[in-house]
Amino acid sequence: MGFEEKVKKNKNTIYVPDIARITRIEYLSPTEKVFKIVFDDEEIKNKFEFKPGQFVELTVFGLGEAPFSIVSNPTNKDFFKLCIRNVGNISSALHRMVEGTKIGIRGPFGNGYFPCQKMKNHNVLLIAGGLGIAPLMSLIRYILHYREDYKEIMVVYGAVNPGSILFKNEIQYWSNRGDISLCLSVDNPDNKWTGEIGVCTKLIPRVDFPSNDTYITVCGPPIMYRYVIDELEKKKFKPENIYLSLERRMECGVGKCNHCHIGDKLVCVDGPVFNLWEIRNLKEAL
Amino acid sequence: MLYKVLDKGVYRDFVKALISEYEFIGPKKKDKSEHDFVLIKDISELDTNYMRTTIPPAKKILFPPNEQLVAYELGENINVRSVVESSKKILFGINAWDINGMNFLDEFFTTDFIDENYISKRKKLIVIGMDSEPTETNFSPSIGAEYAKDGFDIYLTELKNRYFVRIATPKGNEILEKYTKVNDAIAEDFKEYNKYMDNYRMKFKMSVDIKSFYDDFESIYDNGDFWKKIAKDCYSCGSCNLVCPTCFCFNVKDDIELNLKNGKKIREWDSCMIPEYGLVAGGHNFRPDKENRLKKRYRCKLKTFIDKFGKYACVGCGRCIEACLAKINIAEDINLVKKEVSI
Repeated sequence: MGFEEKVKKNKNTIYVPDIARITRIEYLSPTEKVFKIVFDDEEIKNKFEFKPGQFVELTVFGLGEAPFSIVSNPTNKDFFKLCIRNVGNISSALHRMVEGTKIGIRGPFGNGYFPCQKMKNHNVLLIAGGLGIAPLMSLIRYILHYREDYKEIMVVYGAVNPGSILFKNEIQYWSNRGDISLCLSVDNPDNKWTGEIGVCTKLIPRVDFPSNDTYITVCGPPIMYRYVIDELEKKKFKPENIYLSLERRMECGVGKCNHCHIGDKLVCVDGPVFNLWEIRNLKEAL
Repeated sequence: MLYKVLDKGVYRDFVKALISEYEFIGPKKKDKSEHDFVLIKDISELDTNYMRTTIPPAKKILFPPNEQLVAYELGENINVRSVVESSKKILFGINAWDINGMNFLDEFFTTDFIDENYISKRKKLIVIGMDSEPTETNFSPSIGAEYAKDGFDIYLTELKNRYFVRIATPKGNEILEKYTKVNDAIAEDFKEYNKYMDNYRMKFKMSVDIKSFYDDFESIYDNGDFWKKIAKDCYSCGSCNLVCPTCFCFNVKDDIELNLKNGKKIREWDSCMIPEYGLVAGGHNFRPDKENRLKKRYRCKLKTFIDKFGKYACVGCGRCIEACLAKINIAEDINLVKKEVSI
């Protein structure tokens, strides 16, 4: 059920959140936690469906609302998870919360998401910088769920230091699976670090996927995109096969408040995932 | 559209009847140069012969500066409900460009997702339009907004001894039939009306060359020096947004009472010119420069909605030009873009 139908059914306006509970909080790093969220209403829970790359608006009652992208596998119907860094008003309040706390959820939002159906029978390269791994996690989990539908899968992931690498357990699990390759690098290694050093852009020249048979997804801090795209273009990857998840101030999620404007598009409605071809027409996007 | 004429002799009684029957919002003199659209209780308060209103009347009613969207009660269970306030009103004496501004908001708030808070108010609003004197900064004929094709129920145009009446909706017709008497317009009335409109259009002093802006804007988009020069004096105060009939940006904030139980979500107008507009958690600002924000405003007003709705998000009312403390002039800037590009 789409968001709009849900609104109609409940006779609510588009600004009314549904009540949900934080059922589990996982500690990832000193600044990041993963929140597992379950809707109170059985019907809403059953009908909540999302696609990799979409986001929800989370209300902390009394404080306000903020957008977060979903990190869990879309095939899990009973719950969804958000990975949240403690940086703002809402996120720091969330970090103080205990399991069982009630929150409000609107969404999922975004008509631009990672095209996991189109990617079938192709290679997929996923490039993440820092917290940018979060929106990609949903896609990675989906792909691994239907692993046989896809060709080679590679994750290129750069973090600031070894301590800030997120989803370490999951990464460990990937290396045990053997059907997904991983290039990990950190900017500031500690003395135990034996892997790559530097920004993740440096790892791209080593990717040997054929340019005409590969889909690429990128998510990271705003500064990262331009450098990644330069590297991808050197490898002659097609712009229409490169998908980028953009961040802006998405306050309403429904294309009304206008804060997430880029050129003539709105990130909340037209995005948050755009392909590079679209972004070429959006000045200021990168 | 039905075309009728209303005799001036019965006009006052017609308006009086509307004031007594409806919540009647009309222009009232505020000070020497300014009028404001407020609730009118007596016809003596009404002054339709106005020139300047600071806050656009339709926006003031349909998309107020502060508006509650959601109410909730916290406790064992959280009860959340939407708050939609609307009541039947007459908006009397709104001019053509403000009607066109409202038409834009109508389309905006019903595109993609339907904004019930706006549209439920709109559905109950009866709009009776009337021409008003343009200010010196008004350039609406260049935009094509000095004449309203739709969006109103009734539009009254003052001719010598009668009003030329355009009726756009059944509701408008009903009101006229119920509260007054109108006659069919005849060829002579149309003739006088056309003459009036020709004269009326002559009153607008400012004009802009908007035709080629769509492409010129892109060609000048990356010219940093040009935009720096244009935005040089901008104080990033947001006055231009507050007085604009089509500006719709808003913030939603939560507000909780001291008992920590009852709370609400409120939306309030935001401004794309203030530095916090593009600020996200973590401190990254996607629009840190004032020239970038001004450029974005011009894009939003003059280009974005040409692609989306086929119309400008500017009606040329000139309010932002009068409101700007730094004398930034959108009309001059449109012409300047043209000039700069054609060099």
